[in-house]
Amino acid sequence: MDFKQEVLELLAEICKEDVVKEDTNIDLFENGLLDSFGIVEFLVKVEEKFNITVPITEVDRETWNTPNNIANQLEDFR
Amino acid sequence: MHLLKTIEDHVLTNPEAIAFVSNGDQISYKDLWEKSDNISASIIQMSLKDSSPILVYGHMETEMIVCFLASVKSGHPYIPIDISIPIDRVTKIIESSKAELILNVSKLPISINNNVQVYEVNEIEKLYLNNNVVSDSWVKDDENFYIIYTSGSTGNPKGVQISANNLQSFVDWMLKDYPINEKLVFINQAPFSFDLSVMDIYPALASGGTIFAITKDMIAKPKFLFESLRVSKAQVWTSTPSFIQMCLMDPSFTQELLPEIRVFLFCGEILSPSICYQLRERFPSARIFNTYGPTEATVAVTGIEVTDALLKSYQVLPIGLPKNDTKIVLLDGDKSVEDGEKGEIIIVGPSVSKGYLGQKEMTEKAFFEYEGEPAYRTGDAGFINNNTLFYKGRMDYQIKLHGYRIEIEDIEHQILKTSYVKATVVIPITQNEKVEYIMAAIVPTEHPFEKEFQLSAAIKKELGEILPAYMIPRKFIYCDELPMTPNGKVDRKLIKEKVLV
Repeated sequence: MDFKQEVLELLAEICKEDVVKEDTNIDLFENGLLDSFGIVEFLVKVEEKFNITVPITEVDRETWNTPNNIANQLEDFR
Repeated sequence: MHLLKTIEDHVLTNPEAIAFVSNGDQISYKDLWEKSDNISASIIQMSLKDSSPILVYGHMETEMIVCFLASVKSGHPYIPIDISIPIDRVTKIIESSKAELILNVSKLPISINNNVQVYEVNEIEKLYLNNNVVSDSWVKDDENFYIIYTSGSTGNPKGVQISANNLQSFVDWMLKDYPINEKLVFINQAPFSFDLSVMDIYPALASGGTIFAITKDMIAKPKFLFESLRVSKAQVWTSTPSFIQMCLMDPSFTQELLPEIRVFLFCGEILSPSICYQLRERFPSARIFNTYGPTEATVAVTGIEVTDALLKSYQVLPIGLPKNDTKIVLLDGDKSVEDGEKGEIIIVGPSVSKGYLGQKEMTEKAFFEYEGEPAYRTGDAGFINNNTLFYKGRMDYQIKLHGYRIEIEDIEHQILKTSYVKATVVIPITQNEKVEYIMAAIVPTEHPFEKEFQLSAAIKKELGEILPAYMIPRKFIYCDELPMTPNGKVDRKLIKEKVLV
């Protein structure tokens, strides 16, 4: 599995919804799939699984709003 | 009353000291006192019914604290309502509390079809200027000081009445048993409608300290939060464990960011050892305290310092010993249990509330007299080991999520009111006694959506209008019918198992 696919799997696990793997441009906040607590949980899992530390201060809802954008942001942190 | 007198003493000796800071705005002790006197004089002129509560609506503006003091100085308890509470729920609170007056601190319009008067805070302040309110009219003794509404199992929130004596007992304990009585700067993270906020507001004001508010704008933009923390000069940290966990996600959350922090106070949910280890490492000179208590016994009644030695001895942290005017009894039915055995935690002492406002039946179920003193059945299970109390989960359908107290049945009632739901069961998904998230199993009615997630989004949207965000389930599953146990109850266990495989 490539990195992006793994990120999407993880996101689906947090959002409890497989649609994030299918529609990767869906707005996670507008569709009630993710909230502040969800983001924190996601970042904890990202650290555990990929050993990537994303400071919470770097996370902005405007640029972390879709599965694609999140995968791209994490790619930059890698 | 003693607490207000103590605050007044600080006003007289240190009038220019800052009482409250919020988003760049701040208010001195002198202004806090004078403004609340003005508003209080206006309230007295309105001749509300004796001791009828006043809703104070807003977020963490400096005027919120002004209005709290104004209410109690005029002899009326206040009901703090954060703007995150949907208007539908606010309406229920107005009905149940029979409030006659709302002080609107938020700049938002309040549209409520009710016989209640709504005043903007600047408006009411100007009604009767420069009136000195004599302390005779202040709330005192067994009269209600504040009423905080919590989730109720019938779908209607219930109002916990906290008297001046209840609050005094709590504040005396905080200032005596914790190293915070030195005009310090306190962090306030919890919205005022959540009584964790009382843990910093009144200890701060009674010791001549300063409250530094963490607003919802800061929480939505962590970068802004950290910039604010850097200039806060905070010395006492009060939050839920969930909130500090979010802060710890950032490597810059260290003593360098908050060089003056000396005390961390936690309440509201289970404190994990891993959070404490990280704090010991990043803030080596700060002390950590874990506390426990329900809203019904005024914020918290037990506490313990989490030292390195304690962390070494326990995998699950204890919640400590009761304050010295209070007793903890563990009951199994009517009998007290032996040391080490599990029982329901009963709190006995002067900070136990007189009960739920206007809810005689619910009050009688939970409150009683134990050996002549007021007592409250928490519904929490606990056991005593080595002379200290441990928390062991709930006995019923109440849960804690991110520090918020939630009745599962309350969520079920509200989900049933939405458009596409025939039947539902709500289930908390837990790991090591801690709730990770809430799930709803739903039998849907006919609906126009192609995909399940669209149906979920539609239901979540409707729920957003009637429930606070923290009560909306994260996961929805759909089924044709809810499985039943042999005796005709919904089989919650089976549904849970289905999800977890």
